[in-house]
Amino acid sequence: MVEFTRRSFLGTAATLSAPAIIRPAWAADTIKLGCLFSSSGTMANLEGRLNHVVRMAADGINTKGGVNGRRIEVVTSDPASDWPLYAQIGRQMLQQEKVAALFGCWTSVSRKSVLPVVEQNDGLLFYPLHFEGDENSKNIVYVNSPPASSVLPAVDYLMGAEGVGAKRFFMIGSDYVWPRTINKQLKAYWASKGIAETAWREEYVPLGFSNFQTLVNQIRSFAAQPGGQPIVVLTVVGSSIPDFLREFANQGIRATDVPILGLDMVEADLEGLDTAPLVGHLNCWAYLQAAKAEANTRFLSEWAAYVKAKGVPFSADTVIDPMVSAYDSVQLWALAAAKAGSFDVPEVRKAFAGLSFADPSGYTLTMTGENNYVARGVFIGSVNEKQGFDILWQSPDAPKPVPFSPYG
Amino acid sequence: MVEGVGRVWLAGLLVWAASLMVPPALAAGLGLDRAAFAAALCGDGAAQTSAVETFLRRSAEAEAGDVAWAGTTLRALLDRRLACLGETVVILDRAGAADGLDAATGTARPATGGRSPVLGLRQRALIETASGVATLLTGSSADARKGALATVERRIASVPEPVLRRAAAAEADAGLKASLAAVVESAALSSPDPARRLAAIRAVAEAPSGAAFSRLSALKADPAYGADPAFRTVLDAALARVERSVSLGNALAVLYNGLSFASILFMAAAGLAIIFGLMGVINLAQGEFIMIGAYATYGVQEAIRRIAPAWLDAYLLVAIPVAFLASALVGIAIEALILRHLYRRPLMSLLATWAVSLFLINGVRVAIGSQNLQFAMPSYVSGGVPLYADFVVTWNRLFAIAFAAVTLVLTLVILKRTPLGLDIRAVTQNRDMAACLGIRTRRVDRLAFGFGSGLAGLAGVALCPIYSVNPGMGANFIVDSFMVVVLGGVGTVVGTLVAALGIGGANVLIEPLYGAVAAKVIVLVGIILFLQRRPEGLFAVRRRR
Repeated sequence: MVEFTRRSFLGTAATLSAPAIIRPAWAADTIKLGCLFSSSGTMANLEGRLNHVVRMAADGINTKGGVNGRRIEVVTSDPASDWPLYAQIGRQMLQQEKVAALFGCWTSVSRKSVLPVVEQNDGLLFYPLHFEGDENSKNIVYVNSPPASSVLPAVDYLMGAEGVGAKRFFMIGSDYVWPRTINKQLKAYWASKGIAETAWREEYVPLGFSNFQTLVNQIRSFAAQPGGQPIVVLTVVGSSIPDFLREFANQGIRATDVPILGLDMVEADLEGLDTAPLVGHLNCWAYLQAAKAEANTRFLSEWAAYVKAKGVPFSADTVIDPMVSAYDSVQLWALAAAKAGSFDVPEVRKAFAGLSFADPSGYTLTMTGENNYVARGVFIGSVNEKQGFDILWQSPDAPKPVPFSPYG
Repeated sequence: MVEGVGRVWLAGLLVWAASLMVPPALAAGLGLDRAAFAAALCGDGAAQTSAVETFLRRSAEAEAGDVAWAGTTLRALLDRRLACLGETVVILDRAGAADGLDAATGTARPATGGRSPVLGLRQRALIETASGVATLLTGSSADARKGALATVERRIASVPEPVLRRAAAAEADAGLKASLAAVVESAALSSPDPARRLAAIRAVAEAPSGAAFSRLSALKADPAYGADPAFRTVLDAALARVERSVSLGNALAVLYNGLSFASILFMAAAGLAIIFGLMGVINLAQGEFIMIGAYATYGVQEAIRRIAPAWLDAYLLVAIPVAFLASALVGIAIEALILRHLYRRPLMSLLATWAVSLFLINGVRVAIGSQNLQFAMPSYVSGGVPLYADFVVTWNRLFAIAFAAVTLVLTLVILKRTPLGLDIRAVTQNRDMAACLGIRTRRVDRLAFGFGSGLAGLAGVALCPIYSVNPGMGANFIVDSFMVVVLGGVGTVVGTLVAALGIGGANVLIEPLYGAVAAKVIVLVGIILFLQRRPEGLFAVRRRR
């Protein structure tokens, strides 16, 4: 029960009057790492898990003797899904707590608010989500995949003979930067393949939107029109995902009629849903819980044991990609710091080139000196009855990341 | 006609070539080689596809025993109950079981270490259809065959016509036989026989939908449309008819969507209207009372699951009084502990209820966790039924509409026909005068607050089948409910109803035209403009001042 002390509890209640309650750390022979993940607000159910994963990774490194002879101390916070608060707490962590690195953000909007802060203070932010690309800061390590290595392979799969031969696309997303950029790139990609503009449709909903009746009606009439196999590219985030899926299934549309490619859909979004009528819908990530690898078995049992030992208020048998990416982030930082023999950001950054380790997905994660992007494998998952994903396709190797998309 | 003959020849050649590519064991006779078929299902996507396509082609003449066996095996593959161990294939009772029956021989066999293939979407569609065909031909109950027909109809183009004829001929159930005959008829859209084509067009128009419209529109490009006036008349009439039906269906859908959204808004706002109207308390914790109602529903479900699992489906109904009481009690406790000290200080009560809402959210999060709760959806709130053209009635929304209607009636009865309602109305109109007449206004406040909170709890029950239930769910409703209450005129249930219908309807009408984001903004701007003209809302309560 590390997270829910009286202090953080009151902290959430007093968000307005005292925005940033950071749990202080005392010991002097330790090195601090800061977490920027919300445990309240719309992103709580997803981001909340990542605080615990960072802690777990740090504990694992500490039992092996720490980094450069120092123990890692994890400082957590609660930005309450409030984007400006991420920047404010990030600044406090860097300036007052003197953290060696930050781990945080889920939505692109929160990353964009922290970006100027880490650049001004020359800090390091490890960002564990796959995202829209088109950004390259020397102060941010992009631990997940840019669209060229996650979204495009998945769309290609669906358009190919092995998938469903998709010809028409209904894009529906939450109204902010990630969905809009992804959709812009997709449209340019389709245009480059000679697909006519009439073959796609684009709709946006406010963040936290839940009343999807009308939109699902529109998807049904879009699907009924001639012109080939339609698919839905879903970029809504947070609690909108399960609400959309439920409405979709209730109106009787099956994955074999109109498959959904859920770009932000993870195992945790299926918790509480009856997935029997949703079997077959797809997602794409750099990790799926079903990945067959020894490192994954180890990671899954480590998480289950950690949840049990620390009384973490999240499911012991649900692991999602951003959790693994957050775990990878800590390992990457520790490897780099050990290689540099220092905790100074410029030294650590220089050490990134050539780092590699076997991550839970079964692929070897590698970094080059070119940029702060990471090469990882790609999975396409298919929803099963047990609220999880089966692996439908996985990349033969880890594709080289392309930060700036040639499309859009 | 020479060209037509050539085409037939070519088609024959293709069929012959295709039959050469089929595994010899399958092609040998009409009997199905069970071992080879099962092995192919364990193969890659191409092997699965060719085996299942062959089965579909032959299912019109295959023995019933073989068809039924293939159906069982395909169903097992769909449910991931097929374990592949090299040459042998084992059908399991449930996914992940340790042993099962050998698919080919039916003998018991251990299945440890077996691989269960994951189906690609293309194979899944084909296998669903083939499994549907098997059930249609050999299913034991009429209901199962009816369900199978719905599955088969989704991909009617991949089902050979003789299969449908065989099913129609063998069908015992009269209603199902008729629908099968209609399907057979409508499948002949591209038949070489002109009379059958016309019948097919008419049959397709019998079941109007957007998809039917697309199928028929495609025929406009057919040479017969230009050459044959009879064909053109029939097709044009059919198209006009389908188009009319589809627009009517769409209109019904808009009506239904508006009504269902309005019922949710009404449920969320009704309690708020009473509390706000009576005590002037701006209750920002109203959303959390909805959340408490939903969590109480979950508690009821878990209790029934433990005590009487057979009655699990009834939990939503059992939860109605429980959720009402749970929210009402929490509401009364908050009134007694905090709010009664803050009457006549609306700003303080606003802050206090906000604190209460944060406290409730975090309390639930610490006690239960922030994940979405797992509800078993009874059949009466899951799925839907296509009613007319593309208009689908979803049971969960219908449940919410009925629930809101009943709540409305009960609320009106309580307010207009009971002593408590009389007191509430008296205090709402003039608190001091009511006190002078001997009404214990503080007691009325408390009961009314409890009643208002209880109504929010009922909203929680109605929302369980529609939205995800988690500690933060209430926050989504608070803004919408205040819009409804303020627009409706503070403190009137009828005003709340009219405002909910108006806002719900406006949202649903604007969404398809300008998008969901614009719909929210336009509705909000509309409300602001309206309140500029009429600050007291649609229906103002007459007060003595």
